[in-house]
Parts: sequence; C-alpha cells; structure tokens
Amino acid sequence: MQYLAAGHEMTLMEKLEILTDAAKYDVACTSSGVERKGNGKDMGNCLKAGICHSFSSDGRCVSLLKILFTNECIYDCKYCLNRKSNDVPRATFTPEEVCTLTMEFYRRNYIEGLFLSSGIIQNPTYTMELIYHTLLLLRRKYRFNGYVHVKAIPGADARLIQSVGFLADRMSINLELPTAQGLKELAPNKHRKSILAPMRQIQNGIAENKNELMVYRHAPHFVSGGQSTQMIIGATPENDFQIMSVAENLYRKFELKRVFYSAFVNVNQDASLPALPGGPPLLREHRLYQADWLLRFYGFSAGELLDEQRPFFNVMLDPKEDWAVRHLEYFPVEINRAPMNMLLRVPGVGVKSAQRIIAARRSTKLTFADLKKIGVVLKRALYFITCSGRMMYPTKLEEDYIIRNLTGEKDRIRFGSDGMTYRQMSLFDDNSFAGLPAIDDRLKVASGQL
Amino acid sequence: MIVYQCKDSLESIFTAVFNAYEEHRDHNDTRISLDDEYYLFAEYVPVETDIEKAAKVIRTLKRRFGEEDYLSICHALSSPEPDKAQAVYQTIVKGLKGKVRPGHLLDNLADNDCNRTFVLARAAGREMSHLYGFLRFQEVKNGILYAKIGPKNNLMTFLMPHFADRFPMENFVIYDDNRGIFGIHPAGREWYLACGSENDLEEEMLAVSESEQQIQGLFRHFCKSIAIQERENKKLQQNMLPLRFQEYMLEFDNN
Repeated sequence: MQYLAAGHEMTLMEKLEILTDAAKYDVACTSSGVERKGNGKDMGNCLKAGICHSFSSDGRCVSLLKILFTNECIYDCKYCLNRKSNDVPRATFTPEEVCTLTMEFYRRNYIEGLFLSSGIIQNPTYTMELIYHTLLLLRRKYRFNGYVHVKAIPGADARLIQSVGFLADRMSINLELPTAQGLKELAPNKHRKSILAPMRQIQNGIAENKNELMVYRHAPHFVSGGQSTQMIIGATPENDFQIMSVAENLYRKFELKRVFYSAFVNVNQDASLPALPGGPPLLREHRLYQADWLLRFYGFSAGELLDEQRPFFNVMLDPKEDWAVRHLEYFPVEINRAPMNMLLRVPGVGVKSAQRIIAARRSTKLTFADLKKIGVVLKRALYFITCSGRMMYPTKLEEDYIIRNLTGEKDRIRFGSDGMTYRQMSLFDDNSFAGLPAIDDRLKVASGQL
Repeated sequence: MIVYQCKDSLESIFTAVFNAYEEHRDHNDTRISLDDEYYLFAEYVPVETDIEKAAKVIRTLKRRFGEEDYLSICHALSSPEPDKAQAVYQTIVKGLKGKVRPGHLLDNLADNDCNRTFVLARAAGREMSHLYGFLRFQEVKNGILYAKIGPKNNLMTFLMPHFADRFPMENFVIYDDNRGIFGIHPAGREWYLACGSENDLEEEMLAVSESEQQIQGLFRHFCKSIAIQERENKKLQQNMLPLRFQEYMLEFDNN
C-alpha cells in the first residue's frame, strides 16, 4: 500500500486527471429520467429529458462529472485499464474532494450531476460503503439536489445497495460482457450471478417504492431514474443476435431503462483479447444502438431483426431498412390510414414524425410535400409509402431494386468505415498477390508445363 | 389590406392580435408586420403596445389552447425571423376558428402558418435546451456568478426560471451579448431583466478570482481526459456542439 500513501500528496488536479481517465470507458453518461423541481433552498433540480453540458473531442456527451472514487482494484479483468496487474498511477479521492468538485462544477453549470463509480478496494462491501458515505455527505451536508448516478458494486451487502438507492437517481450494474462464458474468460473475479442479483434487488426496490409513493406522496424516492447497464462489444466472439437477445431480456425481465453498448477499446494489449487494427468496432456499436431503439420505441423484437441464420447486422443498411426490405409483404404503407405501429416500421419515419403524421392527418390529407415538412426522411421512406394511394415516384417493390437505391453512391460512404473495403479487380492491377514468380516457374510457363 | 405595424415584442404582437379582433378585421386580408414591408393598396396601422390587451390575449390563448401550446407560441415569438408575427397571428386565428382542443394547436403541420410557427418554436426550444447545458457561469470577485451568451433567439425569459429554480440561493447574472439584456437573480428573491451593455460595467466587476481560475483549470482538464483517443471524432463534436456556442465556453478557449 505504499503508493496509496504517495497518493495523498497528489494535487486535486492530478487525481482528477487519473480518475477521469480511468472512468472514461464507462458510457452511461446520461442525466435523464428524473423530473425534480428545485426546493427553493438547496442547489439543484433535474429535468426529465436530461441535459448535455458539453461534448468531448470524441463526440460523446459530457453530462455528469464522471469519475472513479478510486482506481485501486483487487480484480484482474483482462479488458480493464485499472486491473490490478497493470502498472498505472493510482489515486483515491476523499469524500470531501468529490463533493467539492461536484458542487463547484454544478454551480458554474459545467455538469448535471455526479456519476460515481469505483475500483474495488479491499472488498465490494467496503467499496460500496465508501460510495455510500460520499453520497450521504453530498446529499445531507452539501445539500446537493441534482442528479446522481452511481454504480452498484456486485457482491456488496444488499442493505448497503438499498441505502445507496435512496440517495441516487440512477443506479447501474455493468453486465460487462454479453454472455456468462465471456465473463468467465475475461473477468475471472466476476460472476454472472453476483451481477444479476443486485440488478433484481434494485428492480424489486423500484417496484416497491412505486407502490409506497402511491400511498405516501412524500416517501423517499428509490432510484427514481431507473437502472441501466453496459456491455462491451467486440471483446468476445458473441454475435449481434446474442447481444440483442440479452438486451431484450434485460428490458423485459429486469425492466432496465437503458442498456449501453461500448465498442471494445484494447487498452491492455492482452493476449486473450482480439487485436483491433481498424480501431474500435464503432459501426457495429452504432447498429446495436439503432436496434436498441427499435426494441424500446418501435415495437420490434430481437427475433424479428436477426435470427440464428443471419446473426449479424447488415453493414450497408440500418436494421430497420434491413427488416423492411426483407418484409415487403407489409408495404407500401398508406400514410393517411396506417395505424401507428405500421407507420413506425417504415424506414425514414421516426417516433416523432409518426406522431405528427397521426395528428396532422386528422384535419387534412397528407401529401409528400407535407411529409417532408413534418420531418419524414423521404429519401429512405419513398419506397415504402403511398399518399392517397400514390407512390412518390414510380418505383419497384423489389428487394434488390430497393437495396440498390438505398445504398446509393452517397450512402455508400458509410461502408468501409468499419475497416472493410472492396475494389474492382482489373488485369492491370499492380498488386502482386504472391510475390514475383520464381525463375523456374517462368521457365515452366515458357516451356508450356504450367 | 390592413397591415398592423408593431414592435418586436411579445406584448406588442399580442396587442396587434387583440386590435385585429376588436376592430372586426377580415383575418385573411390582415397582416401583422414587424418591419417596413410595403404592400400595394394596404392601409398601415401602427400599434401602441398595451399591456392589458396583451394580458387578455394571453389569457384566451392559455384557456383555449392550454399552457403547452401557449409556451410554443412564446417560443416562436422569441425568434429573430421577421415573419414570426404573421405566422403566429394566422395560427391563432385558425386555432380559434377551428375550435382546436387544448394541446392540438400545432397539429396541422400541413398548413403553412402552423408549420412556420411550429418550426420557429422548435428552433427556439432547441436553442433553449442547448443553452441549459452550454451556458457557463464564472464567479467574479464579489461572489456573483456571471454568464455571457449569444443566442439567435431572445431566450432570456425562458432561461431565467430554469436557473432560478436550480440556483435559488445564488446571486447570478446572465448577459445576452446579442441584445444587451441582463437577467438578474438576487439570492432568494425573484429574478428580473435589465437593459444595458456589458461595456458599461466596470472591468473590476468582471474580474475573476484565483479560485475561479483553478476550478476552470480543473474542468478543462476534465474535458480533455474524459475523451477516448481511439474514438476521436471532431466532426461529431461540432455537430453536437456548434461553434457559435463554443465561443462562449471556457473549455474551448485554447482551441
């Protein structure tokens, strides 16, 4: 523990740098789901939609002060920068430092609240206790009324998790990897069971709290923003279908608010992890998020989007387009008559535009020009819709034709961003596939033996 | 044709709406105009802003269309576009005539005026929620929090309630650089607006303390180390956080 002693001489700036750097691979930086007015005395309120306060140079939103309490860790997860076998600078905040940073940043409108996670010191319960004390200090002494997202540590005492739940707006437990097999290989200290147990506990706690709030309006809120989780994508060989099925189960059986997908970034160069010469699998992550939205807001199920035979998402088409071109029997959809659930299945029509279509067609017959004004992306939608029985252009309702048009020259730019490219071979290409032919090969060719 | 000429303010435009109804004008042949656009054979009527008349219009709007739609109209009227008055006026006329239920005023997006009002309101609403996040306070020497913004829409009246609710016990001032409006919130009391220019303030008043510079430094550091190098995507960053906001944000100073 000698480096812990050295840690106390660190300035706040150094600590913040180390512990932000250690927390940055956590993706769940949202501040949504809670509507809480200020109470007229204490600092802070929450908006249902959440607020993004900044965007970092990777284009991700900075909403919360995302830090680890400590990056000391007794675990040795292969994918993690803070694993115990890594030689990285270690630091630990004091609860006061976390509170001061949160309050000072919040006061200047830099952040929407605190996202506190932690490496495991000594044991999970001890770590959870530290987090609990920090939150208690922040809520009771500093009277912070803003958003707090906190990680529940798997394996910590259930009573501690319960108490933290009454101080936090959102809790999350990272699933880390989509399957138990992957977890066993890459995170030997973590077990699927110990991750799912607190998840279930929080789910039950939220349900109980809802009943309680119905009877006693002023009862304390328990994790009112719901819980979320995250999985690393591309570190283990699971396919998209498995990942989507896991996500679907989490939404249905555990009533999670969000499942986050995090493209695997190889920080440790561990031998058991895949090398990613093309960078993190960002396009795959993007497709998973698109499908996630289809599950949550568009009434799709994972089994509709993918199946055992085609377990990966199409690189060229987004999951909705992909579904639509394979199910042309449902199309074209008549905009002026179709029910909500059918409108939502049209590529280029989002939840908002579907709602607007339904509202607007009460008073008029919609035309394609109106759809454009409403915000429908006609470029994608025109193959699948009719307005008063007419299509926008004479198009064919054929799978190949539509795919060819949906992936026109401009859209094709997206293709290749995953590191996979193609080109037409020609006779005059200069790439020698197997090096120059040897002399005896040439002789054989000349003499007609080859 | 009758053209009501009014000033660029909510009250003035609502007064014009009131007058149009009071004088039983044919609404299809009446315009409310903010600038000096000239029409052939039109009669020009200047509008004297009348707070009472405006209040009556506001009451009717709230009663007939509900709080939410009233707020959308206010958002649309905060826009810098000169055609906003006419669009809002026609939207109100159609809403009152068509017996719209509360919350459904802007449903008919196929209609040009409704659509225009909707588009303006949406743009203002978006900029407002951007500023909820992107506005940056700095603590000046006497402990007051000071923020400077340069929004396209006139959003001060929407920003102040949010921040007053969030920081009830802080003295803070928000300054709209484009319009010369101060929003002032004394700790524990109601907020109010004042006209003026930042240049009139003494430099001493806007000087920041040393601890403030430290906190700013911490936040700059935070923003830098939170980014994942392998995922760098400056274009996405700029899409999400346009340059016109970055200008007023401390974490982009050194870029």
